Amino acid sequence: MLHLMKYEVKVKLFNFNILFWPLVFPLILGTLFYFAFGKIEEADFETVQVAVVKEADSREGQTFLSFLESIETDESKLIKTEPMKEKKALEALEEKKVAGIYYAGEEPSLTVGGIGLEESILQSLLESYTNGKMTMENIASTHPERLGEASEQMADYKDWVQQVSLGGKTTDGNSQFFYALIAMACLYGCFIGFGSALDLQANLTSLAARRCVTPTHKLRLVLSEMLTSFGLHFGNIIILLLYLRYVLQMEFQGEILRMLLVSLIGSMLGVSMGIFIGSIGKFGEGIKIGILIGISMVCSFLAGLMNSSMKDIVERHFPIVNRINPAALIADAFYCINVYDDPNRFARSLIILTVMSAGLTVGSFFVVRRERYDSI
Amino acid sequence: MIQIENLVKRYGGLVALDHLNLNVKEGEIFGLLGPNGSGKTTAINCMLALLKYDKGIIKIFGEEMSPDNYDIKKQIGIVLQNVAVFDELTVYENIDYFCGLYVKDKKERRKLVEEAIQFVGLEEYTKMRPKKLSGGLLRRLNIACGIAHKPRLIILDEPTVAVDPQSRNRILEGIQKLNREGSTIIYTSHYMEEVEQICTRIAIMDHGRSIAVGTKEELKSMIKTGETVTIEAAVLDMEQLKNIRLLPHVFDVKYEEQVLTVRCTGGKHNLIRILNHLQEEGISFGRVFSELPTLNDVFLEITGKELRD
Repeated sequence: MLHLMKYEVKVKLFNFNILFWPLVFPLILGTLFYFAFGKIEEADFETVQVAVVKEADSREGQTFLSFLESIETDESKLIKTEPMKEKKALEALEEKKVAGIYYAGEEPSLTVGGIGLEESILQSLLESYTNGKMTMENIASTHPERLGEASEQMADYKDWVQQVSLGGKTTDGNSQFFYALIAMACLYGCFIGFGSALDLQANLTSLAARRCVTPTHKLRLVLSEMLTSFGLHFGNIIILLLYLRYVLQMEFQGEILRMLLVSLIGSMLGVSMGIFIGSIGKFGEGIKIGILIGISMVCSFLAGLMNSSMKDIVERHFPIVNRINPAALIADAFYCINVYDDPNRFARSLIILTVMSAGLTVGSFFVVRRERYDSI
Repeated sequence: MIQIENLVKRYGGLVALDHLNLNVKEGEIFGLLGPNGSGKTTAINCMLALLKYDKGIIKIFGEEMSPDNYDIKKQIGIVLQNVAVFDELTVYENIDYFCGLYVKDKKERRKLVEEAIQFVGLEEYTKMRPKKLSGGLLRRLNIACGIAHKPRLIILDEPTVAVDPQSRNRILEGIQKLNREGSTIIYTSHYMEEVEQICTRIAIMDHGRSIAVGTKEELKSMIKTGETVTIEAAVLDMEQLKNIRLLPHVFDVKYEEQVLTVRCTGGKHNLIRILNHLQEEGISFGRVFSELPTLNDVFLEITGKELRD
């Protein structure tokens, strides 16, 4: 068995076609994602220009102006305010010189000229202020002795605006792309599996025919080929995870063991899918490769590889697709580990993945263990 | 050593093997000769238990062959028509891999691999990958992978296709050497010269049937043709051709593109008799050839078509 596995590993490692799609391509795509999203993030955090119209001399308006000033002077440079008369402010908004107008009066309010990230930031700042104000009022009426402590906490607005998951982990809007990328890489194990199918079935290649007429038990050949393929692809995914974590500095906050478990099952699923499709039907090699690419890409697309909101759209309209799409399940399991901290959802994704993976592995096994063929 | 009785293999409506009967004896080089599509490779694949067949019995070493009869498989070496090696492994690794499917002991395997490399003359290429080898060297590697474990029975399916003459001679000599060393050989080919050169007994196949079996001498004695005389003659009319046909031992006369072909039954002095006749008739002629019957003649007489058709 070791003799077989030693050479099978070597064969797969030296086969560029087998190694490119499951390993090299995801690394390249991950790097491209990194640079593309890096630029978006830089653009996202440009200072938001906002006009401030002082409505009347009121205590409330003054407090709001102080709040805005404290944010403006913060090192994060989230907003840049400019006091204006209302008419000028409206003109500036019209000409898109500012993203919005804050009205500092008895009831602070916001007028925006559109919908977007800048407008959302202004809106969330206003909400932060009004929520904080209400909290302070509540504290003042119920625990006046702790008002000072509360005010100190309120002053640190960063704690308010930082986006956190329910589990307390920092969320990154782009992480969905990378989880979908890992899912795609797992599914691309199908190319390794496809190679194995070609090398195992005498009706597909002469090489397989030569192996099948030897006294080595067919099941031993199948087992060594499957173990080698699973192991090798699991290694590919580990390399990808390490690359994302240590080279691209992705923040994986979940348990590494659970991530490895998802990667292992995902790898098995990809490889066995390749063996299964490689073994069934009478299509040519090119058509089967096309089918494999098609399945992997459609699944990855629906899991959010090209559009981060795609998975949510699918979830809203066709939730069953997300339950059976292996890429969505893998991405979701990663999201559960790193963001949601939702053990039930994680378990559900993992169980479905395991059942699919086991089903495909057993199915592939029964197809490739055939020893006599109708035609060669 | 191998007994095949009434073997029938159908691909849908096409009968690939039609009640094929073969009997291969230990120690011989048994040739399966026939045109492409005559059923040679199908017969081999059935023998190796790779193909399902509809009817018949295949026995090797006295036992019925089946996919899980590993005792039989252990004693067989196979060299397939298409080169079947790993492009990613070196020459040495390929031979070691396939030998390892038969021989578990590392030390013994190393010795066998070295011997196989020497046998096919690939000593200088052991670290090269197959893609760097020429067609002839690749075929030699293909053979080495099939024979390294020193099998009792070696099946070679058209091992010289697309091989240069030098490599072809080396391969043919090698096969004879393997046979001298004790292996029984089954050799399939559509090159009658090769089969004539090395095979001790031959089965001629056509349309999935064995149409004649015997030594080359036995096969040739089965047919009417004892000698074929070919003469370049500028002009011949029907009357002259009719007179040639009337000569003793002549049974077939053809005249195409200024070449006269005369087939004679066995008998002495056929050539001299024909040339004397042409001189007497005043027919001028050019180059003259005389050939003893070939396996192509055997095939031609039995099937009515050329082996190379």
